[in-house]
Amino acid sequence: MTGYNFLRSVNEATAPAGQAEVYIEVGALPAQVAPLRVVTADLAARADFDLDAVADLRMAVDEACSTLATLAVPDARMQCLVRVDTERITVTVRIPSPRIAVISQDTFGWRVLATLADKVEILGNDVADPPSLGIRLVKERQVGVA
Amino acid sequence: MTSALSAEQPTGDSGYQHLVPLFAEFADLAADDPRRTVLRDKLVEGHLPVARHIARRFAHRGEPLDDLEQVATLGLINAVDRFEPDRGVDFLSYAVPTITGEVRRHFRDQGWAMRVPRRLKDLHVTLSAAMTELSQLLGRAPTATELATHLSLPRDEVVEGLEAANAYRGKSLDSLLVDEDSNSGTLGDAIGSADGELERVEYRESLQPLLAALPERERTILMLRFFANMTQTQIAEQVGISQMHVSRLLAQTLASLRDRLADG
Repeated sequence: MTGYNFLRSVNEATAPAGQAEVYIEVGALPAQVAPLRVVTADLAARADFDLDAVADLRMAVDEACSTLATLAVPDARMQCLVRVDTERITVTVRIPSPRIAVISQDTFGWRVLATLADKVEILGNDVADPPSLGIRLVKERQVGVA
Repeated sequence: MTSALSAEQPTGDSGYQHLVPLFAEFADLAADDPRRTVLRDKLVEGHLPVARHIARRFAHRGEPLDDLEQVATLGLINAVDRFEPDRGVDFLSYAVPTITGEVRRHFRDQGWAMRVPRRLKDLHVTLSAAMTELSQLLGRAPTATELATHLSLPRDEVVEGLEAANAYRGKSLDSLLVDEDSNSGTLGDAIGSADGELERVEYRESLQPLLAALPERERTILMLRFFANMTQTQIAEQVGISQMHVSRLLAQTLASLRDRLADG
């Protein structure tokens, strides 16, 4: 699995001019989630999202990464791409997933994700080869915030 | 005697020997005797090198040496006031633990989970207060640029300060900003409808006991954010604490629920 970039393989990692994009890879362990949430929150604050949105994103990344970390096989890497557009921030997190793993959408964890982000998507096994499992979060810039 | 204290003082204990008789004199004076103040000053000033030495031992832990020396001097004053020479213990044996205890307490009271520079701690209070002010003005949480403009600070410094706020775990600073008894009647209504929403979550049988075990304020904040769909700024206003405090409590509560749901 090492060296394979799921995000780049599906052409998610090429940013048009004017967009900021940061790619981070860590071990797929709950303890290694911290840099992902710190970087996301920092990018959001610098992009002048209001501070409620910044705090929401921080918690959403925490929740999404923790969910994926519990589904990861031992020694798996977690790949995270944060893209800042004028109107929204998109965070995509993926883990390699050789077996079919299911992310339930009736849980409290999903409720948390759906409340904190404006849009949450599960990225299934079909988008990459080798197979992966991921979550994509979108936080829109609130109307009225410069 | 080869203690660190005597090494500091080239003359050894004798550096403080001339002060010893003053303690007996000091103890014998009546509480309202004007000579007490003079003697007390002499005793404190004479032992200042002890306080400075102890303060220096705690330097490089994120607190300015000036502050530490002040706290240590306070400890020394307490030691001078409380020392009873007729107990047969010499002053230094009594003063060193008293002063050290005072400095340790100072660190404990700071309440930060990480060593954060003083500048950032001061900024935390400033930012938190400015956020509350701007939120009321704007009707929503401010952005980093709005905070920076409002405070006439570089934006990088504001972003840095906001990050440091996430390292903060204590209560003392937050409590400075708490508006007591600001719970309004609408809070109960909001929680009522949030309880209804909770019914829609699967596995609520395993979630509910965990929610019930939470401190009341944490549970209220969690319910308002995730089941009444209020923003952190709105919750801050309802509950009467700062947005930063709401944010920290929510993140901590979610993390602990996640751990416990995983265990169950």
